[in-house]
Amino acid sequence: MTTTLAGGRAARRQTMRRIRPRRSPAVPLLLVVWAGAAAVLWLWWHNTPSIADDTARIVNAGRITGLLAGYLMALVVLQMARVPALERRVGSDRVARWHAMSGRYTLSLVVAHVFLTMWGYARQAGRPLSGLVTQTVESVEQLPGMTKAAVGTGLLVLIGLSSVGPVRRRLPYDTWYHVHLLTYAAVFLTFWHQVAAGNDFAVEPVATTFWYALYGGVTALVLWYRVLVPVRLNLRHRLRVEAVIEETPGIVSVLIRGRRLHRMGAEAGHFFRWRFLAPGMRFSSHPYSLSAAPRPEMLRITVKAIGDHSAGLRALTPGTRVWAEGPYGALTAQRRSRGKVLLVAGGVGITPMRALFETLPGAAGDITLLYRANTTQDLALWSELAAIATERGARLMYAVNSPEGERPDISAENLRRKVPDIERHDVFLCGPPGFAQSVFEALRDAGVPARRIHQESFEM
Amino acid sequence: MRKSHPLRRIVLATAATVSGVVLLLSLKPGGGPAASEATGAVPGASAGARESAQGGQAGGVPAGSATVTGNVVRTEYGDVQVRITVAGGRIVRADAVRAPRGGLSDTKSADAVPKLNRQAVAAGSARIDSVSGATYTSEGYKKSLQSALDRTEPAGASAAAARASADPSAPRTVTGDVVRTEYGDVQVRVTVTDGKLTRAAAVRAPQGGLSDQKTADAVPKLNARAVAAGSARIDSVSGATYTSEGYKKSLQSALDRAGG
Repeated sequence: MTTTLAGGRAARRQTMRRIRPRRSPAVPLLLVVWAGAAAVLWLWWHNTPSIADDTARIVNAGRITGLLAGYLMALVVLQMARVPALERRVGSDRVARWHAMSGRYTLSLVVAHVFLTMWGYARQAGRPLSGLVTQTVESVEQLPGMTKAAVGTGLLVLIGLSSVGPVRRRLPYDTWYHVHLLTYAAVFLTFWHQVAAGNDFAVEPVATTFWYALYGGVTALVLWYRVLVPVRLNLRHRLRVEAVIEETPGIVSVLIRGRRLHRMGAEAGHFFRWRFLAPGMRFSSHPYSLSAAPRPEMLRITVKAIGDHSAGLRALTPGTRVWAEGPYGALTAQRRSRGKVLLVAGGVGITPMRALFETLPGAAGDITLLYRANTTQDLALWSELAAIATERGARLMYAVNSPEGERPDISAENLRRKVPDIERHDVFLCGPPGFAQSVFEALRDAGVPARRIHQESFEM
Repeated sequence: MRKSHPLRRIVLATAATVSGVVLLLSLKPGGGPAASEATGAVPGASAGARESAQGGQAGGVPAGSATVTGNVVRTEYGDVQVRITVAGGRIVRADAVRAPRGGLSDTKSADAVPKLNRQAVAAGSARIDSVSGATYTSEGYKKSLQSALDRTEPAGASAAAARASADPSAPRTVTGDVVRTEYGDVQVRVTVTDGKLTRAAAVRAPQGGLSDQKTADAVPKLNARAVAAGSARIDSVSGATYTSEGYKKSLQSALDRAGG
C-alpha cells in the first residue's frame, strides 16, 4: 500500500518534471502592437499644429485613418509571415483569426482614409461633396505616388470582396488563395504614396525611417519564413509519399518518408502545410496534422476525404514528391499545465489527439481520450488507440450515435461522471466547429477554466 | 466565445475608432498654428520683417511634386513659416507651420491662416490678398510662401530673370521661362503695354503624336484667357492639363519679369 502510494507520488513528480508549460506570448505582443499604434497617433499629434475649421478636421481625420491603416497593413502581412513565435506559441488558428479581423479593420480604415481625404481636399478646393470624384481623379493625377496607390487600393478592395463570407464560400479555395496573394502587390503599391505624399513623413525624417524599417522588417520576415525556410527544409529532408492506407471508408492515412526528420523540430500536435507534387495537386497546399509522433524516417498524416484535395490523396502513388512547410500549430504538450490530461476528439480531429495520446508524458491513469464519431465504423485509428491505451494504462472512451441515429449527450454531468476530477485536467480539444463549441461549453459548465481548454480551429 | 459575436465586434471597433478620432481632433487646439515645430535654427533676432535663410528641403526638388518649407519670416507679432506641397506645377496644399501666438494673435492667426492657405492654393502663387486685421501675418505669410515657391523651381531658372525696366507705358515684349512638362517644353512670350497684358503667345509647346492636336486646340484658348485675365490665374484647358500648367508657369515668369 505505502509502496504504491510512494510509487504513485514519484511517478507524478517525474511527470511534472517533464511538463514545462510555456506562456503564450500573445499578451506582450498585443502590448507592443498597441504601443506602436500610440506612437503613430503621437506622430500625427506632434506634426499637426492646430486645426482651424471643419475642412481641416476632415483632412486630419483622413490623415489619422491613413496613418493607422499604413501601420496595420504591415502587421496584417506580418501575421501571415509564418513566424514561428506566432505559429507555434500563439497558435496558427488564433493568428489566422487575428489576420482576418485586422485585415477587415485595416481595409475599413483605408476606405475611410480615401473618402475623408478626398472630401477634405474637395472642400479646400471649394468643391461640393458631389465633386468628390473629380477631386479624386485630380489628386491621383497630381499627387506623388497616387497612381500606384489607386491601383493598390483597388486591389485591396478586390481582395476584401473575395473574402466576404458568401463570396468566399462560392470561390474555390485556390482562386481565393491566389487572389489573396495579390495583397503583397497591393501593399507594395500603396506604400509609396505614404512616404511621398504623407504630411507627417514630409516633415519628420525620423518617421520616414521608422516606416521604412517597419515595412522592410516585415518584408525580410516574409522572405525568410515563407520562402527561404521552406526551401531549406525541403532540400534537407526530401519528402516523398511512402504509402497511402485507407483507415475507414473516407479516411486515408498518408505515410511520408524523408531524411533525418527528427531534425525538423516537429512534435505531436503539430501540423504541416502539404503540397503533393502530383498532377492537379501541385498548386495548392493544405494543412494536415501529424497523426502519429514523428519518427526519424517517417511522418504520417490522416485525412478525411471531404474536399477535392483530400479526395485526391487516395490516388497518390508511392514516390510522389512532397513539399511541406512547417511545423506549425500550438496544440502541443507545451500547452499543458497539469498532470492530468483529457483529450477530446471529434471525427477526423482525432489526428493530433492520436499523436498526443501516444506521446504526452504521464503515469498510468493520467491521460484520457474521448473520441466522438457518428458510428463505430467511423472510429478511424481505433485499433492503434486501443493498443496505446493498453500499453500506457491510459483511458480510452468513445461516443457514437445510437443505432436510431440519436446523438450522444456530451453534457457537463456526463463528463463529470466519466471523468470525476475533470476540473483538475488540461483539456485538448479538436473537432468540427459546432462540436468544439458545444464541448467547450460543457467543459466550462463542468468547472474546467477556459485557460486550460486548449483547442485549434480553422473556422473563421 | 459568445463574446466574440462578429456583429458585436464590428460595432465595438467602429464606435471605438470613430470616437477615438473625434476625441483626437477635438483635443487639438482650434487656434493658430503652434510654433512647436522648428525644422531649422533661426539666426539672430531683430525687429521688422527680416527674412532668415533657412535650409530645409532645399532647391533642386523636381517640379513634379514636392513638399517644401519656406523661410521663417519674422514679423512684429511673431514668426511665420509656410509649407506647401507642389504637384504638376501647382500648389495643392499650403499650411502655416508657424504663425504668431499669444494674446490677440491666437485668434488673429486662427482667423487669417486658413484664409491665406485657401488663397495660396487658389492663386497658385504668392500674389494673394492680405487678410484685413492681420496685415503683418499676411505679409510674412506671403514672403515665406514666395521663398517656398522659389525653392520648388528648377535651380537657376528664376534667378536668371532679367529685369529690364524702361518707360513703363511703352510696349515691352518679355519671354518667360522654359517649363518642362510630361509631353514637352512650354514657353510663353507676352507683350505688356502700360502695365497691362496685351498679347500672349506660346513660342514653344508640346509636339508630336497627339500633342500636335492638343497644342493646336489648347494654346489659342490659353492665349485668349491670359489676355482676358491679365494674369497667370487662368483655368486649365481640359484634356491638356500638363500643357496648361506649363503655360501658366511660363506666363507667370514672363509677367514677373515684365513687372520688374
